Amino acid sequence: MKKIMKSWKVLVGTAFAMIVSFSAGADTKLGALYPFSGGLALLGDESYRGVEIAVAERNASGGLRGEKIVLVKADAVDAGQAVGAARKLTSVEGVRAVFGSYSSSISFAATQVTELAGIPYFELGAVSDSITDRDMKYVFRSNPTAKKFAAGTVRTVIDVVAPALGVNASDLKVAIIHEDALYGTTVAEFQKIFAKEKGLNVVEVLPYSAKSVDLSSLVLRLKGAGAEVILQTSYQNDTVLFFRQIRDADYRPKALIGAGGGYSMQDTAKVVGTENIEGVLDVDFPQFEMKDAGAPGIQAFRKMYKARYGTEPRSGHSLMNYAGARIFLDAMEQAESLDADAIRTAVMKLDVPVGMTAAGIGAKFDSRGQNQRAEAAIMQWQDGVLKTVYPASAAVADPKFP
Amino acid sequence: MEIFIQLVLNGLLLGGTLAIISVGLTLIFGIVRVVNFAHGEFLMIAMYGIYLLNQYVGLHPYIAMLPMLILMFAVGAVMQRFIIQPLLDADDHIQIFATVGMSIALMNAALMIFGADVFAVDNPSEVGVGSLSVGPFRVNIGQLITFTVSLLLIGGLNWFLASTFLGRAVRATAQHRTAALLMGVNVNSIYMFAFGLGAACLGLAGGLMAPQYPVFPTIGTFFVLTAFVIVVLGGLGSLHGAFLGAMIIGVVDSLAGYYIAPDLKEVVYFLIFLCILILRPTGLFGAGRGSE
Repeated sequence: MKKIMKSWKVLVGTAFAMIVSFSAGADTKLGALYPFSGGLALLGDESYRGVEIAVAERNASGGLRGEKIVLVKADAVDAGQAVGAARKLTSVEGVRAVFGSYSSSISFAATQVTELAGIPYFELGAVSDSITDRDMKYVFRSNPTAKKFAAGTVRTVIDVVAPALGVNASDLKVAIIHEDALYGTTVAEFQKIFAKEKGLNVVEVLPYSAKSVDLSSLVLRLKGAGAEVILQTSYQNDTVLFFRQIRDADYRPKALIGAGGGYSMQDTAKVVGTENIEGVLDVDFPQFEMKDAGAPGIQAFRKMYKARYGTEPRSGHSLMNYAGARIFLDAMEQAESLDADAIRTAVMKLDVPVGMTAAGIGAKFDSRGQNQRAEAAIMQWQDGVLKTVYPASAAVADPKFP
Repeated sequence: MEIFIQLVLNGLLLGGTLAIISVGLTLIFGIVRVVNFAHGEFLMIAMYGIYLLNQYVGLHPYIAMLPMLILMFAVGAVMQRFIIQPLLDADDHIQIFATVGMSIALMNAALMIFGADVFAVDNPSEVGVGSLSVGPFRVNIGQLITFTVSLLLIGGLNWFLASTFLGRAVRATAQHRTAALLMGVNVNSIYMFAFGLGAACLGLAGGLMAPQYPVFPTIGTFFVLTAFVIVVLGGLGSLHGAFLGAMIIGVVDSLAGYYIAPDLKEVVYFLIFLCILILRPTGLFGAGRGSE
């Protein structure tokens, strides 16, 4: 009797499992691995919105290869959780690919797992160069890297600031300050190299903790060194603190150049005050004030975003993730199948010129999976808005200096 | 020399902010004997409260501080009554789990309610912002006010504990809870009162800090580790210790940030902290092992 009961249970169980897998078979599952809680949640969520819009748009126009895409959200606050989240996506949820992840350390950990599982990982926002320097077969990245950010800040000193001030770039006293974790350190290392190559006069390099509650001693050091141009790589709190404390110390450098992070956030401008951020330069993912011709679809994206979430985009992270997700969804559409190798072949075949996506980037991937046609944009805060000022093809405004 | 004096000034002023936060923490520890790991999140709640009162009622942070004092007192008292009190006789580590759990829960609750966006109070150009020039030196007005209030707070609390009946009951409870109970002190009420008082300090801190710092869900974690260092440095439970500790850490923070390197300042004050603990395990003003 017991045996019969047992085989019944097995039978019912199998039937149930089959029904579940059948009904799931009609959809294509894709993972979205981002920090949705914890300290990185704001930009993690903002990045995710870009993917969400790209997927909704694709579903509305018939889905991926005729099937509806289901995005499976996975929350990873840090590298430890990223491993668990990636495992769950690849082994339990059975996703065909994973989009992520805003934070470099999260991306690092998650890609190890997906690579072993043979699932493609599409990085749309993390900037650490080493993510694509590890020769992983199924890791691809659409966005510009930290190295491009650093190159952009140095280019800003030479091509934007020095001409505007009417001096030689090498005569300016440049200081590099940065938060001392992976993001700030990586950008600053490249800044030092590029600054040396271009013959800039770097007078101070000062790392600090992003959790500092007081940066007044750092400000005094900068003031003491007579730094005229400051390159800062920072998150939001430290950007705000720095702005407040240079004002308290009555210190007015000739130019402030941020490398993304806190410098790109609309909130930062609100918190430090429009008048205090006026004229500040920023090198980052392209934001929204860009020539439509150089970024087709940017205004349409903005409208979709507003319709869906009821607010203006909080930063360009959503835009960059949207453009990246579209690039990879196109590749998956064109691939022979959704096998990892077929997807890789399709990604490698992509050939989108610069200026043909909503974020202005193009798509051409090198053998390590890094997009060669993604540059950081150079922008300036003018009248409370971050406007693209360089290069001229994307610029909506001229750089202004008092 | 000018730079040195400016650095010390900056350090002392930073110490004022740290002192108010630390005094709350040390009060709770000294009386209730519970290390409140949710202290930073209480500060975060207070800062959100100040922000909301400023945004929706239009109060200046220094005025919003007064209702916030009462609200934070209630938050502290409620937490003591419903979370700490049932665990008072449990092992220390259970209390630690409870307060750490509270801290994580509160942080994520803030994330759910407000999102991770950064907020700041409006019209910061009125009172408490900007800086004064005193000869060659510059002093942040908001920090100067905070420093003054921290002095008044220490003085007021000392007077209260020494000269009022309730204060004496609080001290009696802190010294020996069973003896206080036998003398007719309602120990549980005193604990609720003390916890409330500790949390109310953060209402004060929140208002004073609002013109200087933005508010977001993890802002508490920026201050709480430093507050722990200060409290242990000064001697757990000692008000004077917390004040002196805050001044020491503030000045060390400022000097080390300039003369050594901004990213090494924490290392420096943790080293000082370790040295003091080795030389004087109870901290500068610690009660020692004599009390309960």
